[in-house]
Amino acid sequence: MSIPYTTDVRPDTGLTNPKLGIWLFLASEVMLFGSLFSAYALLRSGDPSWPDQSAVVNVPWATLNTIVLISSSVTMVLAWAALAPRHTVANGANGVTEAQQLRRYRMFMGLTLLLGAVFLGIKAIEYGGKLADGLVPATNNFLGLYFTMTGLHALHVVGGMIVNAYLLGPGVRMWTRDPQRFTNRVEVAGIYWHFVDVIWIFLFPVLYLL
Amino acid sequence: MTDVRGYVAVFGALLTLTLVTVTIANLSLPVVPTVVLGLTIAAAKATLVVMFFMHLKGERPMVLWPLALTVFLFVFLLAFVLWSESDHILGPQL
Repeated sequence: MSIPYTTDVRPDTGLTNPKLGIWLFLASEVMLFGSLFSAYALLRSGDPSWPDQSAVVNVPWATLNTIVLISSSVTMVLAWAALAPRHTVANGANGVTEAQQLRRYRMFMGLTLLLGAVFLGIKAIEYGGKLADGLVPATNNFLGLYFTMTGLHALHVVGGMIVNAYLLGPGVRMWTRDPQRFTNRVEVAGIYWHFVDVIWIFLFPVLYLL
Repeated sequence: MTDVRGYVAVFGALLTLTLVTVTIANLSLPVVPTVVLGLTIAAAKATLVVMFFMHLKGERPMVLWPLALTVFLFVFLLAFVLWSESDHILGPQL
């Protein structure tokens, strides 16, 4: 039995089921990360000996990682945009063939995966530096939260990369037999990937700059 | 929206705001203005990503209402924590 309303809009919600599903999932994710941000606010405001964060963390690496993740968001949305015109204009009317669309999609999705790997590589360098200095989660409340929040975020990056790798590899076969459904899959994967970017947009100033 | 130029413009705005955030953090301003400015810029960046990259702009009410409830609950959670800790946060300044 196939999942209903993967391409057609469900009349009562006005949405496809995957799109409604991803937004409801992300709503739960907001509360997951929200609980950690509120724990950070609680512990920091109640601790007069909170360490100078910028002296503990590596701000230049984190700034570079911010640029990397923002760039990956752009390549992700461009990967979706490479496929989407097929459904918004008459096929071929914009002068783009299906092969060209797929080539552009593969290029941008490949870049997204590459940038995700770069992000994790920089994060590994950061972690390695801290562990080499004997800075572990048990050192103090800040480092406990730092490793928990950035670690949970990194796990989300890994999850997104697995989905994106599938959509770049074996999953891309769907493009030939059901292009609209494949385009919707890429959009839903993109919505998740951008959410991971949004979380980092808040983690960066909170853990590195403030 | 499949406007590639629009996406590139948002990308430029996000990079600019990132550099502004780092610059402000290096100005050695008092803690409260630094926190307020840092989080305001982060909220502006997040809004750009959510509205344009995640296509929330023009999305159906079925998406907007659950998200509005989530934002309300998150703000309530954070406000409750900050309220309970207000004596620590505001104490030295009163």
